[in-house]
Amino acid sequence: MSLMKCTHCHLEFDESIMIKEPENKELNFCCNGCQGVYHLLQDDGLNSFYDKVGKNTLSQPLAVGDDSSNFDMESFETRYVKETEEGFNRIDLIIEGIHCSACIWLNEKVLNDTDGIVEININFTNNKAKVVWDEDIIKLSQIIDKIRSIGYNAYPYDRSENEIKATENKKDFFLRMSIAIFASMNIMMIDVAKYTGYFTGIDPEMLRMIHMAEFIFATPVLFYSGWIFFKGAFYGLKNKIINMDFLVSAGATLTYIYSLYVLFGGVGDSYFDSVAMIITFVLVGKYLEVLGKKNAVDTMDKIRSQIPLEATIIVDGGKKVVTLDEIKIDDIIEVKMGEKASVDGEVISGSSSFDESSISGESMPVSKQIGDIILSGTINTEAVIRYRACKNYANSTLNTIVELLEDSLNSKPKIEDTTNEMSKYFSIMILSLALITFFGWYIYEGSFENSLIIGISVIVIACPCALALATPIASLIGISWLSKEGLLFKEAKFIETFAKIDAIVFDKTGTITTGKLTVKATPLSLTLEELNILYTLSDSSTHPVSIAMKSYLEKNYENLKNLELEKIEQIPSLGVQATYKNTIVYGGRLENNIEYKTTIYHFTINDKLLATFELEDKIREDAKKTIEYFKKQNVKTIICSGDNKYTVANIAKEIGCDHFNAKMSPINKADYINSLKQSGKTVVMVGDGINDSLALSRADISIAMGNGADIAIAVSDIVILNDKLSGISKSFYISKRTFRFIKQNLMISLIYNIVTIPIAMAGFIIPLVAALSMSLSSLLVVGNSLRIDKKK
Amino acid sequence: MNSILWIELVIGILVSFTLLGIFIWGAKQGQFDDGKKMMNGLLNDSTDDLQDAIKKDEKVKELKANKKAKLQTNQLQK
Repeated sequence: MSLMKCTHCHLEFDESIMIKEPENKELNFCCNGCQGVYHLLQDDGLNSFYDKVGKNTLSQPLAVGDDSSNFDMESFETRYVKETEEGFNRIDLIIEGIHCSACIWLNEKVLNDTDGIVEININFTNNKAKVVWDEDIIKLSQIIDKIRSIGYNAYPYDRSENEIKATENKKDFFLRMSIAIFASMNIMMIDVAKYTGYFTGIDPEMLRMIHMAEFIFATPVLFYSGWIFFKGAFYGLKNKIINMDFLVSAGATLTYIYSLYVLFGGVGDSYFDSVAMIITFVLVGKYLEVLGKKNAVDTMDKIRSQIPLEATIIVDGGKKVVTLDEIKIDDIIEVKMGEKASVDGEVISGSSSFDESSISGESMPVSKQIGDIILSGTINTEAVIRYRACKNYANSTLNTIVELLEDSLNSKPKIEDTTNEMSKYFSIMILSLALITFFGWYIYEGSFENSLIIGISVIVIACPCALALATPIASLIGISWLSKEGLLFKEAKFIETFAKIDAIVFDKTGTITTGKLTVKATPLSLTLEELNILYTLSDSSTHPVSIAMKSYLEKNYENLKNLELEKIEQIPSLGVQATYKNTIVYGGRLENNIEYKTTIYHFTINDKLLATFELEDKIREDAKKTIEYFKKQNVKTIICSGDNKYTVANIAKEIGCDHFNAKMSPINKADYINSLKQSGKTVVMVGDGINDSLALSRADISIAMGNGADIAIAVSDIVILNDKLSGISKSFYISKRTFRFIKQNLMISLIYNIVTIPIAMAGFIIPLVAALSMSLSSLLVVGNSLRIDKKK
Repeated sequence: MNSILWIELVIGILVSFTLLGIFIWGAKQGQFDDGKKMMNGLLNDSTDDLQDAIKKDEKVKELKANKKAKLQTNQLQK
């Protein structure tokens, strides 16, 4: 069997399952969705889409079950559709299935070519789209259908005040930072001439010209880009706090004033370059923080867009669609197949299976009978059921999780990084030394002007260039090494936090195990016809057990084909039954009193048991090694899972993990992380599912596996792109090594200051010494950092 | 000699600040709001895409004009 690329999505599949077209043998599709989208694009003359996709892969077109007419409902319109000044309608959507710029192009192109669409703008970074349309020409449901027809899906989201504010803030910081970088780069170029002049000799008039140019560039940096530091310092002083903003603005302003004196007094050397550098360095760090906050807002919008908009309740024997806030305790709610339960409740009629992966993390649907509890956010996968609401929407599980997650994302506690702490004390010390120097010289010499210049020169020579470079340069080298290994750190500061961890908590399904059910090899004595019946039964259900069975049969037996089974019937929570040539065939779990410890699949014909299969979720190959590594590093390893105690204990024993917790809900997991933190531990959480998101957002460092849920990846600090557990131990090793170099760099810059500050206090600072010492300290820090990735 | 250098300096600074001004205008228009999209546009946009953009502008103008006329008619009828 060989692998073949799908003509539309470019993903590779086994040749045997590809859909081929007799009229064009070059076309191969992995599913009907890809085939449909391919032909649609060809018919509309949009085949240049494939040139834009290039070698990228897409996901298979999303199969959407729900009816788009919901989008035209009044309750929907009131909540999501706004009217523009020109009288058009506007909605904000999150487009699902976007992979690359070609996907953006295709969606925008198709919608722009649609009559009645006034504006469509999709953001590549967060997949949010703004759509403006003329209601007289086209309906919203038609727009959604158009998006779905090309293999994508769209959810509405409420553009909150938070998002508007975060977007404006990001834009403001981007402008300030761009101007600071632009000016600093110009100043650095001019500096080349200035410092060369110290060694070769320079005409005083020329030097003045250089100072003038630097003054012109440094002024907007200090007063426009640096304005936020003045603002921060003002609010700090108002609350009687000397914060980092005060020290940055005081240092930069004093250096600026001193340099102005040099420029117009015509003596000494100006330090406009230091003014621009200090502001630019700190501003870049602040901009990254702002980006982080904006990402948190985008993540919350994605999560909120997954919440159902309305529910069907039974009133006086009839059905009524209501918004979630209108649901009261004891209301009877009907949930159809494919729908999400909107509030928590108890089943009163019917039976079905529910996908609880978003709450418990377990991929296997759970059977629900009369009297069982349904949790909000879980998806009905089989038959229509009715249940009685036992909580209102605000107190239901889904809303509680969303609200807790929102709180965690808005105030995610992180360990204060060492450089910031050091800079704070360092700056207070420098300011104090400068004051002592000023008063000392004034008392000793009596010249106010000379004392002021020497006092300011202490601040200038202590220019925190080396200190400012100590962390970013080492982090940059560490981060690029990590990314080469397929380990994505979203921010450099996570290197430091990760290097200091005491405990690491693993989720089970999808993290320690592969999260995919596989059938244990079973010797079979079935005829080819029986095998084909079994194959057809497993092919007629989308239940994870059936999918695993189908893939097992395809892998182990050749020439299998689908038979024409009749009266195919899904038996909720059990399996699939059908008739074939007057016999009753059945694949699934048999109803008996035996309590199985693993997942079992029976195959019967006319109630005669022909085969029994056992399915298991395999442990990842590198799980044991990873646990051993962390144990050697004196890091406590723990498994937390929503699964039963027996399964979790078995897995913990197999991989050598000493601690485990079973039957944990998302809130239990988050509370456990909190309790570990309260006991003084720095905690890492590793997970992959929506159910882990809350615990991930609470941990000091959160790690998501690369093929995990979008939300888990969004709330995580580190993403293991290669999806291997060994990536976590590799990340820990690199973080520890990088952090050791950061500490060395900080030490170098401190020693530099210990040597040069006394010289400045003694009044011996001449331009040559300043130029040499500033460059030397920075070079030492950069040179030391380059050693980080030498030992791989 | 020095006076020429001074003139050159002024011109240089003026040119660079003009370019910075254009950049700020672009940023305020929202052209850099989506970094990834902008970079991909620079790499991949062809003349066809520019033609599409012109067509789109014309379509939007027409839609806006029609809507305005319709709203005015509605107001007059009231």
